[in-house]
Amino acid sequence: MPEEKQLTEKESLELIASMISKAKNSYIESGVGPLCWGILITLCSLLSFAQVTLKFSIGFDVWLLALFALIPQIIYALRSKKERKFTAHEEAIMDYVWSTFAICMLLLSFYNAVATPSHATALYMMVYGIPTFITGGIRKFRPMIVGGIICWICSLTSLYTSFPNTLLLMAISSGSAWLIPGIILRRRYLKLKHV
Amino acid sequence: MFKELDPILHSQLRLAVMSLLIGVKEAEFTYIREKTNSTAGNLSVQVQKLKEVGYIDVVKQFKDNYPQTTCKVTPKGIEAFEAYVKALQQYLQAGQQQS
Repeated sequence: MPEEKQLTEKESLELIASMISKAKNSYIESGVGPLCWGILITLCSLLSFAQVTLKFSIGFDVWLLALFALIPQIIYALRSKKERKFTAHEEAIMDYVWSTFAICMLLLSFYNAVATPSHATALYMMVYGIPTFITGGIRKFRPMIVGGIICWICSLTSLYTSFPNTLLLMAISSGSAWLIPGIILRRRYLKLKHV
Repeated sequence: MFKELDPILHSQLRLAVMSLLIGVKEAEFTYIREKTNSTAGNLSVQVQKLKEVGYIDVVKQFKDNYPQTTCKVTPKGIEAFEAYVKALQQYLQAGQQQS
């Protein structure tokens, strides 16, 4: 691109539009994060439900798996940050949104352990919906907007649902908030990567 | 009365760099070079000019033992870019009215 070429007003506007579009299309969500959490929370919920209803035990608290899943997630996030050649505005916002979510989840787990509220799952699902809905809105990604709303509907429904059926609502929440959107994002990412 | 187009921005490569950086929070030199299809030498000169007038911030650091240059638009750069786009629109509107 020659630096001193004199542009007409029309050419200038076209160049601006084309470069903004290039920047906008550079960022493609890989879907690893939502997919990983979607699989994990859905599986943990279903396994917990199966343990209670079928009266068996796997010998440890299945929700501890969520802590182990944090490790590959952190490694992946750090690696992609290192490989990143640019930071999109929305990425910076997303970092704050999901960090807020992680902190709230830790606080909620602590609150749950100390206060042992009767409808803890309702609180979890309410919190699940917040970053999901914001992400969907900012990225204009409808499956996550819908997923966020489903989390809130499940949260409300769980107040009128007895345990262990609330665990099924939890599985529906994580499935619709992360698992399904994660699959869609991953497929889209792999398709675009091979183009 | 027409506003004069900012001579710093009214150049193909500098305008391309600014338009690209407006769309992101920050970007590496290699990313800008790739997206603008420019040579490293040419881009380096234009980035320096944008830096001198305070339109962009340039941070040079080492990442995994390799030099890394990151560019970011400053508030002054955003202001200048917005004024440039407004001036362009004025010119185009006037052109449409005349024809």
